[in-house]
Amino acid sequence: MHKFVKTAAAIGALVLAAGAAQAEYPEKPIEVIVGYSAGGGTDVMARTTMPFIEKYLGEGTSIVVKNMPGASGQIGITEVAGSDADGYTLGTFNLPGMMARTLDREAGYDRDSFTYLANVVNDPNVIVTSKDSGIETVEDLIAAAKENPFAITVGMSSLGGDDHFLLIKLQKLTETDFTIVPFKGSAPARTAVMGGHVAVGIFNVSEIAKFQGELNVLGIAQAERSDFAPEVATFREQGLDLINGSMRGVVAPAGLPEDVAAKLRDAFEKAAQDPEFIKAMTDTANPVEVVTGEDFRALTDGLFDLAKETWETTPWN
Amino acid sequence: MSDTPKPRLMRPETLTAIGIVVVAGALLIPTAELRPISALLPAAMLIGLIVLSVALLAMDQRRAAKGEAPAPMTKSPKRVIGAFLLIVAYALAADFIGFYISTAITIPLVAWAFGYRAPLGLLAATVIVVGTIWLIFDFGMSQDFPAGRLWKD
Amino acid sequence: MYSDLLSALPNVFAFANFAAVIIGVIAGIVVGAMPGLSDTMAISVLVPFTFGLEPLVALGLMAGIYNGAMYGGAIPAVLLRIPGTPAAVATTFDGYPMAQKGEGGFALQVAVVSSAIGGIASAFALMLLAPPLSKVTLLFGPSEVFWVAVFGLASIIFLLGGNPIKGLISACFGVFVSVVGSDPIYGNDRFTFGALELLDGINIVILLVGLYALPPVIDLLETPLKTDGVTGSKLGTQSMWKAMPRMKGFWKTWLRGSFIGIWIGILPGAGGSMAAFMSYNEARRGSKTPDTWGNGEPEGVAAAETANNADTASALIPALTLGIPGTAVAAVMLGGLLVHGLQPGPMLFRENPDVVFGFMWQFLFGAILLIFLGGSLATNSFARLLNLPRPLLGSVIIVLMLIGVYSIHGRMFDVYMMLGFGAIGWIMDKLKFPLPPVVLGLILGSFAEENLRLALRIGRGDWGVLFQNTTSLILVALTVAVVIGPILKRRLFDAKAKA
Repeated sequence: MHKFVKTAAAIGALVLAAGAAQAEYPEKPIEVIVGYSAGGGTDVMARTTMPFIEKYLGEGTSIVVKNMPGASGQIGITEVAGSDADGYTLGTFNLPGMMARTLDREAGYDRDSFTYLANVVNDPNVIVTSKDSGIETVEDLIAAAKENPFAITVGMSSLGGDDHFLLIKLQKLTETDFTIVPFKGSAPARTAVMGGHVAVGIFNVSEIAKFQGELNVLGIAQAERSDFAPEVATFREQGLDLINGSMRGVVAPAGLPEDVAAKLRDAFEKAAQDPEFIKAMTDTANPVEVVTGEDFRALTDGLFDLAKETWETTPWN
Repeated sequence: MSDTPKPRLMRPETLTAIGIVVVAGALLIPTAELRPISALLPAAMLIGLIVLSVALLAMDQRRAAKGEAPAPMTKSPKRVIGAFLLIVAYALAADFIGFYISTAITIPLVAWAFGYRAPLGLLAATVIVVGTIWLIFDFGMSQDFPAGRLWKD
Repeated sequence: MYSDLLSALPNVFAFANFAAVIIGVIAGIVVGAMPGLSDTMAISVLVPFTFGLEPLVALGLMAGIYNGAMYGGAIPAVLLRIPGTPAAVATTFDGYPMAQKGEGGFALQVAVVSSAIGGIASAFALMLLAPPLSKVTLLFGPSEVFWVAVFGLASIIFLLGGNPIKGLISACFGVFVSVVGSDPIYGNDRFTFGALELLDGINIVILLVGLYALPPVIDLLETPLKTDGVTGSKLGTQSMWKAMPRMKGFWKTWLRGSFIGIWIGILPGAGGSMAAFMSYNEARRGSKTPDTWGNGEPEGVAAAETANNADTASALIPALTLGIPGTAVAAVMLGGLLVHGLQPGPMLFRENPDVVFGFMWQFLFGAILLIFLGGSLATNSFARLLNLPRPLLGSVIIVLMLIGVYSIHGRMFDVYMMLGFGAIGWIMDKLKFPLPPVVLGLILGSFAEENLRLALRIGRGDWGVLFQNTTSLILVALTVAVVIGPILKRRLFDAKAKA
């Protein structure tokens, strides 16, 4: 029945467009599949972004967000990978999670299953410690870890996510070893750090922005300081080349017609320049960093290689 | 219940206990592939189920030895099986031919099959229920229901 | 801290927010009154639909439904001796005999007033206790939370029912269901058999609907058609003004029932039905005329109904502070809170004071509204609903079950899984396996495991980490007391009986 309505709408649109020389994309509602429940970070990103994409795709465009939660986004993204590449099914895409899942389990997609449209959010990692841990700077942290390998516990939201990759980068860079404590989600991990049950925590900046009074924030893993926590120094400022974060973007199935892809990418680029869009995203705790097309693909490749190397040397499950 | 004593293994509790032992035993096999810490809780529960079911079996058989008849599960097995099959059929129908069509068929069908046969009442109930669902869920909350896999491409 | 409580009040009276509570209470009464449709189910069905609503509209609906359903369950309990919700079982003891004597209307009035009183007391408990308790939650790390969960699991001992072996089988089954899905630490699959749908574990709503709703539907269809409802004329209703004076001696029972309900609610584990039983027994023990109990004593209805409403809001205390839902309903409501960005824990009351405190007010108003909305006129019309032909009622419930389960994730997989649990539930029901241990096992089993594993990682494999501080040791002592207490009591009782 749903399909019927859609078809009817499409036919209707075609009839309407018959006057014009050629039917132009989009001529029917576009569906964006979100692999998480409504209200989550990725869902909020999609629901905040899509009105602006509607605006820049032109008059009469309609985008419908559809939640297909389950298996940390796997169910949704697998559905996207298997959809028709006609530009009417898009999906949200999380990095490095979506790539890490192609390694640690059998996934119904790989990095070639998609046409990369735009990454929208880049939420950089931060390292925090509890107030009573006695660790207040990056030097303290490294010194403590060197003195007693594995004695320092690090709380994070899961294994094989961006938090985990940051720690792996840190361990490699400083030749240290920590004990990983993967909680279920960042909120319980954050409470555990605040209560001093684990010494260190790795989060995304948006997750601790409101808690800077209760935690020591050692540094932020981004090239420049974040608007969410401007007082926090970057790791580069402190002599550590540590860049990592959680990214959320939008992809389409592989083989999207070039003109459709170009139109969509263009809409994302225009949205990125829209101050209203930046404000809406900041209000919902989403640090914006729009990267489109080939650059987005390169970003994905880079993260996939890192994840693959990590998986082959130190598998996490 | 008929007067002929049922075979001792056909008592409902005995059958259930045997069923639990078999299923729990089968589920124990995949725990071997897990890390020990990962397998700890599930294996403990499965072994617990097996031990408890064996105890249940022993108790029930002791009662059987005394000649106690088991309490019957249902007075009308046909109605129970029929009801369950209808519900499963409804779920399958919703999945394959679509939610609204199967609901509009199921409500009067189930009510009719189980004894309520006033045509006007059936019609009214069906219209009210399907209409309300559509109004609240589809119209009010734009919630999609299964459209039917058969019609999909 | 409590000034936030007051500043949240005006927003509660915003039209949409208040209307949500009213609609919730009405819907709750209707749902609670339908045997087979429980409060938990109603809220579970609702949660997925509230994503798009303003937080206080969504939460107001939930608070209203919870309060309404706990009373609604009394309607069929009194009129048909079918408890509408599991928590209304104790209401049948005296409610049904009253109805047979032609005092059904009065029984329902006692039930509605008692429910409201219990609900009001519980809402105050939530308002006063949750904010200060949230401050000490930082003391609860993985090992402490592990012990809280174990304590809750130990309270299964109260739910075992007549046959402890069957009760334990139920509990093991529940805990086993909780481990299905990805491993809490490593994320690898356990018992998913390759199905992505099982990776996140089995949603409690699927299990609840299967176990609690399907067997009664089968029963509805199994018994041949007959009309055994009580019609409005036989209810023996009177105006509230005449009814109230007859309840003036109940204040002790109300007070005791409220305390018992609140206390049971706070403890993770046992829920409304246990509170109602305990309150009933205590009230009967304290009564001057214990012989009239069970034969239509209005105070018995008051005792049961006060307590089963008094555990509603208080069950949210551990949910809001520690993130541990004490009951199945609290588990579902916690899911609803998370959807609206309310993370349980020490920060909840600081980050979203308006919403959290507003929600607490809605609980209070939901309870007060019960008196008005559950009045005799409304009750009469709800009672008529029960006179619907059973096959028709059955078929409508089947449809509602499918909608409720389907809309959690929008997939039929869950519906089939629910039918599977339904078949298991029917067998368990007929063979008298108690169902509450299954639900408790599912809720608390995964909590216990996850936190045990986290604690062991923090302790780097040393099990001693579980006994390292006072909070843990207190919880261990409480757990031991819960397990040993009833056994000792029985021993003492037996010894006395022999002497």
